[in-house]
Amino acid sequence: MLCLSKIWVIARREFLVTVTRKGYLFAVVGMPLLFGGIFGISFLTTGTMEQSIKSNSEPIAVIDRSGTLDFGLAGGFEPTREYPPGPTELLQQTTGGKKVPRIVEYTDMALAIRELKEGKLSAVYLIEADYMSTGKIVSYAPEHGIFSDLAPPDRSRLYDLIRASLIKGRIDGETRERILAPGKLKQMKVSKHGDVESGSDAFQKAARFFGPFSMFLLLTMSIFFSSGYLLQGIAEEKQNRVIEVIWASVDPVELLTGKIIGLGAAGLLQVALYAAMLLFPAVTVFAFFQVSTTALVLSLVYFVLGYLLFAGLMAGTGILGNSPQESGQLSAFWTLLSMIPMFLLAPITEAPNSWLARGLSWFPLTAPVTMLLRITSGVTPWVDVAISTVVLVASIYLAVRGAAKLFRAAALMYGKRPAVGEILRWLRAS
Amino acid sequence: MSQSVPAIALRSVRKAFHTVVAIEDTSFEVQPGEIFGLLGPNGAGKTTLLRLIMDIFRPDSGSIQVFGRHFLRRDKGRIGYLPEERGLYVRQKVQAVIEYLVQLKGVRQPQARMNTLRWLERLDMLDVREHRVQELSKGNQQKVQFIATVAAEPEILLLDEPFSGLDPVNVRAFIQVIQELAASGRTIVLSTHQMNLVESLCRRVFMIHRGCQVLYGDLEQIQRTHSEKAVVVRSNANYSDCPFIAHATGNGRGTLVLLKNDAQPRELLAWLVEMQAEVEAFECAKTPLEDIFINVLQP
Repeated sequence: MLCLSKIWVIARREFLVTVTRKGYLFAVVGMPLLFGGIFGISFLTTGTMEQSIKSNSEPIAVIDRSGTLDFGLAGGFEPTREYPPGPTELLQQTTGGKKVPRIVEYTDMALAIRELKEGKLSAVYLIEADYMSTGKIVSYAPEHGIFSDLAPPDRSRLYDLIRASLIKGRIDGETRERILAPGKLKQMKVSKHGDVESGSDAFQKAARFFGPFSMFLLLTMSIFFSSGYLLQGIAEEKQNRVIEVIWASVDPVELLTGKIIGLGAAGLLQVALYAAMLLFPAVTVFAFFQVSTTALVLSLVYFVLGYLLFAGLMAGTGILGNSPQESGQLSAFWTLLSMIPMFLLAPITEAPNSWLARGLSWFPLTAPVTMLLRITSGVTPWVDVAISTVVLVASIYLAVRGAAKLFRAAALMYGKRPAVGEILRWLRAS
Repeated sequence: MSQSVPAIALRSVRKAFHTVVAIEDTSFEVQPGEIFGLLGPNGAGKTTLLRLIMDIFRPDSGSIQVFGRHFLRRDKGRIGYLPEERGLYVRQKVQAVIEYLVQLKGVRQPQARMNTLRWLERLDMLDVREHRVQELSKGNQQKVQFIATVAAEPEILLLDEPFSGLDPVNVRAFIQVIQELAASGRTIVLSTHQMNLVESLCRRVFMIHRGCQVLYGDLEQIQRTHSEKAVVVRSNANYSDCPFIAHATGNGRGTLVLLKNDAQPRELLAWLVEMQAEVEAFECAKTPLEDIFINVLQP
């Protein structure tokens, strides 16, 4: 029978040593900052790009040689909203509205170009004299790098003014309104089961993705961090020969159990701290993360199952190497296999119940990451939850049992790395 | 524990690692409260024997009993083991490391702390208790390891080369501790190459060579058995002319003479008389254990 007090002593030490490690503190504090920084830079650079393509707050100059436009109408109607909105618009929604540049009539082309160069204008449009027959418009915009050529700035504002000018006095009332603003779109979603649900605006749509995906990412990282600590700890104990002293006091199963519990708790603390640092502010400040209770509970279940499986595998692998570095190299096999779902992120999130996703959920090494991904991407059938759970529980049993056998055989073996045949022989031994 | 029940008993134990036989048909007993010497050259199988007793390895055949029965998981808390390969958490503080290792023996935290401080004081290490292990000298690390072994107050102590890396003062301190522990009823198995220490500490020894038993029993008896062919002589004779002598070396008291296998001390004495040598001293020698060790290994 296992000695619970010894397991507790080991678990407590592993927890305390791990949470005070520099690597752990970096992972807990540094990683969110790093990810936050990457997201922030990405967001801001995208915004800059959008700005270079579309708009800024300076006026747009229009030289109308065709006499088509009635400049008195500029700003007198609600501009057509572009759909879907880009990141700039999302950012503007969160920071308090979009500045709409004014359209100003110019007659002197040289003056307009000079002011554009000086930054007093965001764009210049020249409507040619034969516009009505040819539709020709020339745009002039400042050089903003490679994205400058993709689209003329605030084209939609100009087109709105052209439409308004063309129908003025000819069409009015509701017809005029519908020409100027053909639709105020409301999106609905039809599920596979035929349920019609209210759609969301772009921001909510983004929130639906980023919230669960962030949770998936954090849990997955924690699985690999925690099991990685286990691998490193065992490899270090073997390298500095403490393992024999420990083994003289506790059984390998007690040692592994204590380590798995202690490091698992450190992993859970890491998740909790991530939640406190990222999820909580996101929920309270931005209402950004939308995760259902079922998804949350199932995610935690797969976090625990995934951690236990990889802890068993890493413990078994850690004991085979002669140094933490060598053990780390050996464990890359498990890490690469388990990361397959990450390489198939797009197909799994787009079709979380496809045969690809289901197949990966039934294979023990890919099951934890795949299930976390599927759960956070949509509704997962309970049969898949049941199958993957059974597969994982059985695999955990085999992994921990195998780790204990390898521990007994290889913990005091130094020098050459055991061959595959030798490892298999140890695993077969009773 | 009754004297009739050995603290440790091995019967016909065999252990092989794949195709290499490490221990072959080995049997011995260690009595409660004795200091038992485990001898053998490097690679003979001493460490394997200690690991077998500690249940780190399990024998392929034969039986190992501790406390009069087969090893139980909880027995690990009653046996202290100082391995030859020292192992400590080098980046942690001395007191924390010892306390942790003592607690792993099943000692509760407050008691573990008390014992740790008491032993640190005993071995003059109290002032380094907040130092990291890696900051200590090799000898002090050895003391930390020793304290971690004894502070759990185990009933059996398996000490594999406990004196390595120690200066003479600390060797003497360790000897005193070991003798005190034995006097208090602890059973001690001492594996070492320092034969003089075995002679001064152990009453019985077991010697292993290439996995097999070569000597076992009462140390004095063994020395007597191996001394029949050794004589200490102080005379003016030229020993190289003697037909009974295999080897002669000078020592402090005279010349240590090893006789040929078929020769007897009385034949040497007769030869000295015949040679009209002036004999100041003639006594049967008690062969040092080191010589026995070498003679057994190099017959």
